[in-house]
Amino acid sequence: MIALARHGLNLAAGLALLFMLAPLLLVVVFSFGSSDVMTFPIPGLTVDWYRKLFARTEFWGALRSTAIVSLSVALAATVIGSMAAVVISRMRPKPAAASTLLFGLPMMMPPLVLALALLSAFAVAGVKLSLLTVILAHLTFTMPFVILIVAARLRDFDYTVLDSARDLGASPLTTFLTVTFPIIRPTLLGAALMSMALSLDDFVITFFMLGGGNTLPTLVWGMLRTGLDPSINALGTLILAFTLGTSAIALWLTRFRG
Amino acid sequence: MMGLALDRRNLLLLPALLVLLLLFLGPMAYFFVASFFKVSLFNLVPTWNLGNYQKVAGEYGLPIAYTMGISALIALIATVLGYIVAHVIWRNPGRWGAFLLGATLLTLFGGYLVKIFAWKTILGREGIINNTLLALGLADQPVEILLYSPFAVVLVLVSYLLPFTILPLYGALRAIEPTTLDAARDLGASPARMLWDAILPRCIPAMLTAFSLSFLVSAGDYVTPRLVGGTRSLMMGNFIESQFGLRMNIPLGAAMTYSTMVTSLAIIIVVWLVLRAALRPK
Repeated sequence: MIALARHGLNLAAGLALLFMLAPLLLVVVFSFGSSDVMTFPIPGLTVDWYRKLFARTEFWGALRSTAIVSLSVALAATVIGSMAAVVISRMRPKPAAASTLLFGLPMMMPPLVLALALLSAFAVAGVKLSLLTVILAHLTFTMPFVILIVAARLRDFDYTVLDSARDLGASPLTTFLTVTFPIIRPTLLGAALMSMALSLDDFVITFFMLGGGNTLPTLVWGMLRTGLDPSINALGTLILAFTLGTSAIALWLTRFRG
Repeated sequence: MMGLALDRRNLLLLPALLVLLLLFLGPMAYFFVASFFKVSLFNLVPTWNLGNYQKVAGEYGLPIAYTMGISALIALIATVLGYIVAHVIWRNPGRWGAFLLGATLLTLFGGYLVKIFAWKTILGREGIINNTLLALGLADQPVEILLYSPFAVVLVLVSYLLPFTILPLYGALRAIEPTTLDAARDLGASPARMLWDAILPRCIPAMLTAFSLSFLVSAGDYVTPRLVGGTRSLMMGNFIESQFGLRMNIPLGAAMTYSTMVTSLAIIIVVWLVLRAALRPK
């Protein structure tokens, strides 16, 4: 009876796993399938959809915009978030929890709400929409992740090594550059990659903040609306490779386990 | 003792505070204030009135009710399924558990639009399910209900949200001390009793996190209903979004947004009270 229940649970978990992974696997598989109708069995393998995608001029523009946005977001969120994490990690438990919650608010907001509030505020402040507004908007929901990850790492930080460095005559800057930074570098890199993955994957906020042109997700949106062209699979696979690649490395670097 | 405000180190917090204030709290506050304004000839007129909220109550009662209902269903399914997966990961520290956890973490950040698109190709009239059914002779004609229906919205959003519910629940399960379970077992509790009296009550905060997150994401989504929901299953997100295209009626859109958020918050509080009453630690 108990064994039966356990098998039932495992089966349910397996199905749930399939349910999460299947759509992603199918996109990858069909991006290499030679038929333009997406059905099994696949008649043959091809890289034509990638060739077709790379032949589009708007693909390269979108790739460029995505690179600019995600790299700027990763850099800005990591620098600003880590600076805040230094202060938060030194607070007493209660104010630290309150600060984390306060800074975490944008992370809990549905993207549509964040996008529309920013759109209205930028409109009234007379800020023109551009890649910069996309970057600023992405900063709001990526920064909380950086604060969470870096503050967690700094709480376990052994501050006596800093005292040793200072006792040996190192200036605060030298101490930071030669001791603190090398120790927390994997965490910072992980946090940066995580913000990059989040920025790369965002469609809703980007869509409202982008004045003109495209990023990779808005290009997918455009292609989705003009019909089911299989080169979307190729583009989808590329986006997946970027986001999964960066987040996998990030998870490994930060040893983030839920 | 050094005062907190005097410590120069606290200046490091300043940039993050500016981001929070200028790019989040400020815009959210302005958005709220604007919900009491009027629009005339595409311009905001700052005259205080409740007209937008009256309009929301009069015209959008049904869409809000539908959005709340379907979001609650999605959040419920995602939380229950998420719990099952988290429980299996927790009870299987070996390869199977590690594999499940790894797959969950990987699907967490990848491809929101890509996933919706993939489901479209799976469920569509000429999609994988229908073509397979036809090829196997299990159906004479394509099953239309799969795509462009509330069913498709629920399916796609649950699939997208599962990783987000599994992780907090797994975190809560992992934090349970083994001695608690040993004590319950030694006292003769059956596995079902242990689950109900010892394990689940310790997951209440995580359950609430999982439910709230999936509920809020669903209630604020407009892409999924637009792409797989069809014209009959438009949600509040779609109506809100449509106020911001050419129309640019910020006040009405803001009133719709805040009405939806307040209703969502009320539902989350009710769920919290129900969970707390149903699952008392023993």
